[in-house]
Amino acid sequence: MIEVRNIAKRYGSFTAVENVSFNVEKGRIFGVLGPNGAGKTTTIRMINYITVPDEGEVIINGKPAGPESQKMIGYLPEERGLYKKMKVGEQLIYLARLKGMSDYDARKSLKYWLDRFKASDWTKKKLGELSKGQQQKIQFISTIAHDPEICIFDEPFSGLDPINSELLREVIIELNQKGKTILFATHRMEQVEQMCDDICLFNQGNIILTGPLGDIKRSLGKNTVKIEFSGDGSFIDRLDNVRINNRSSNYAEIRLLDGVTEQDILREAISHVDLTHFEFVQPSLNEIFITTVNDASARKSIQEQIA
Amino acid sequence: MIDFNKFGIIFKREYLTRVTSKAYILTTLLAPLIFLGIFLIPIAVTLLSPDTQRVVALVDETEVIAPRMIEINPNQFVVFPDLTLEEIRTKVTTGELNGFVVIDEEVLDGTRTPELIYGGTGGVGFVADVRSALRTSIRDEKLDRAEVTEEIRGIMAERVSLTTRVLTETGEEEQDTSALFIVGIILGMIMYTAMFVYGGIVMRGVIEEKTSRIVEVIVSSVRPFELLMGKVMGVGALAVTQFAFWILAIAGISAASTPILLYFFGSRVSEAAGSSDTQAAMATIESELPFTIPEIGFGLILGFIIFFVLGYLMYSALFAAVGSALESETENQQLTLVVSLPIIIPIFFLSPVSTDPDSTLAFVLSMIPLFSPIIMPVRMAIMNVPLWEVALAITLMAATFIALIWLSARIYRVGILMYGKSASLRELARWVRYS
Repeated sequence: MIEVRNIAKRYGSFTAVENVSFNVEKGRIFGVLGPNGAGKTTTIRMINYITVPDEGEVIINGKPAGPESQKMIGYLPEERGLYKKMKVGEQLIYLARLKGMSDYDARKSLKYWLDRFKASDWTKKKLGELSKGQQQKIQFISTIAHDPEICIFDEPFSGLDPINSELLREVIIELNQKGKTILFATHRMEQVEQMCDDICLFNQGNIILTGPLGDIKRSLGKNTVKIEFSGDGSFIDRLDNVRINNRSSNYAEIRLLDGVTEQDILREAISHVDLTHFEFVQPSLNEIFITTVNDASARKSIQEQIA
Repeated sequence: MIDFNKFGIIFKREYLTRVTSKAYILTTLLAPLIFLGIFLIPIAVTLLSPDTQRVVALVDETEVIAPRMIEINPNQFVVFPDLTLEEIRTKVTTGELNGFVVIDEEVLDGTRTPELIYGGTGGVGFVADVRSALRTSIRDEKLDRAEVTEEIRGIMAERVSLTTRVLTETGEEEQDTSALFIVGIILGMIMYTAMFVYGGIVMRGVIEEKTSRIVEVIVSSVRPFELLMGKVMGVGALAVTQFAFWILAIAGISAASTPILLYFFGSRVSEAAGSSDTQAAMATIESELPFTIPEIGFGLILGFIIFFVLGYLMYSALFAAVGSALESETENQQLTLVVSLPIIIPIFFLSPVSTDPDSTLAFVLSMIPLFSPIIMPVRMAIMNVPLWEVALAITLMAATFIALIWLSARIYRVGILMYGKSASLRELARWVRYS
């Protein structure tokens, strides 16, 4: 559905992205991950045909990105915003019509979504009179009202309360079940783990990892121990050749490095605390993210030193 | 190149949201009323000014000047032979008298300038009346003393007047240009204000879309160029609507002014004109006004509209580019100044251009595209600018507009997506080169 081929974008001497390629298959939920400034938004803007790549190309549904592909995409930018002084209803119709809908179709579709989000009473109000959460709902409706084949959400859950987050999650899953392709950018790992089929990981303008989430996890193998316990957990600090993630007073995720086995950790744990839970698992996405980014950054700096 | 369907949707929104706003409706309706006020008040003042007689006491040591002045205006001048200077002074402070003048032989000789001591009210007209009466009286007294013949008196009283006629290529045409000077200055000021007001609307629109971040949503549906053109044209249509309304309103007011004036001041006018003939009555009114109402030709209105539209297009493109680089309206005055300067500079030349619209300076200024919208209408109001000059200025402006919209669009498409801080002029230059 979306093919990104070797794109690069430079602003003067600053390279925002370089040599970036990935494919988003139809009907999948694709997660774009990466630290701030890694090139996620730049890439998303090129997919949306807001900017054009200096090199490479973006193919949407078999054709280069352009005004036609824009109609197929619904885009929720990270920086939210609508016209504050414009009435909600007029505003939504305006945005839907810019996506190529007729006035009639726009009204029909908006009625459905406004009812769905319990927002029908707000159409006569100016946007500025709504609360932050209500504005977020309107913004989301504006993104999907024209029934786009591709939905691109940049940090869709930021600023939402848990109830609205859940509603949004349901709608995203529902859109996906209807066969829509979803691409979302975030640095909230747990959401990616729950929702995404495929991911790509950005760092410093490059893609350092891409593929189906399951494959990526499997390829890295089981290398993490999760334990729950009661008692004095200070022995964890004395373990060699491990990295500790997600530590609390009775819980820890321990990443095994350089020859340490899960059996070593089990023995140590039994001898110091009452173990209530022990699990040997694949690494969490968070762990993958941190390791890969750190490795990539280290490699880059070594390369730069050699050069 | 441009999707006219999307352009139309944007144009419609930009136009309709503004044309229905309360502020717009209010200014559009009120301006002609203010014009009506400006037009009617001087007439009303001239015709209806109450004859509050201001009384000046004359303390005349020569005893020959005061009778002459009283003869000139018996209501204005009095003498109090029994009162001392101090008592007269008290009468002025209490308001019983409006002022007094001490006249002695030195004044008559011209060795001392007489002084009018007065309560401070009455203004220039009052002082001028006293001066005029005093001057005439002293002159007549001196002429009498010198035993001058009637013939020389006649020469002294003679006044030479000058009328003007404009010689055009097609023949001769009689027209007084002194009043057109005012029309020129007014047109220049209107252009100046309009460039700032409508350019400012475009700039604020761009800033609003940028700071509210909606621009990223919009440009995921339309090209930045389509958004820019929709906005510029939408606000332009707003300006044209407003001006069209005003021109019609003013034309209506002017057409209605004759009957209105006759209705209000009819009796006075016929009295003054000595006839009931409307034409003659109007001529009388005009002759009583402190200015003449100049004829504004169709050619001038057409020229004004063309220069207004082209000027607006050039400046709104510039203001849009600057707006895209700003994070808020108050930030980076340096950038706003850069686009404001070409509007401000011609204002300094309004006076030299309107006094000598045919000079090389006026010609050159009116050919500089960014100055043309303000300078050329001023020249056109005052003189018959050769058609080739007007055509050349229009061509240069059109070419400049195309260059500016290209440049502005390149800055704009980068600027609207740059968040965080306002950009400097140097950054703008760099944005132009981005692919």
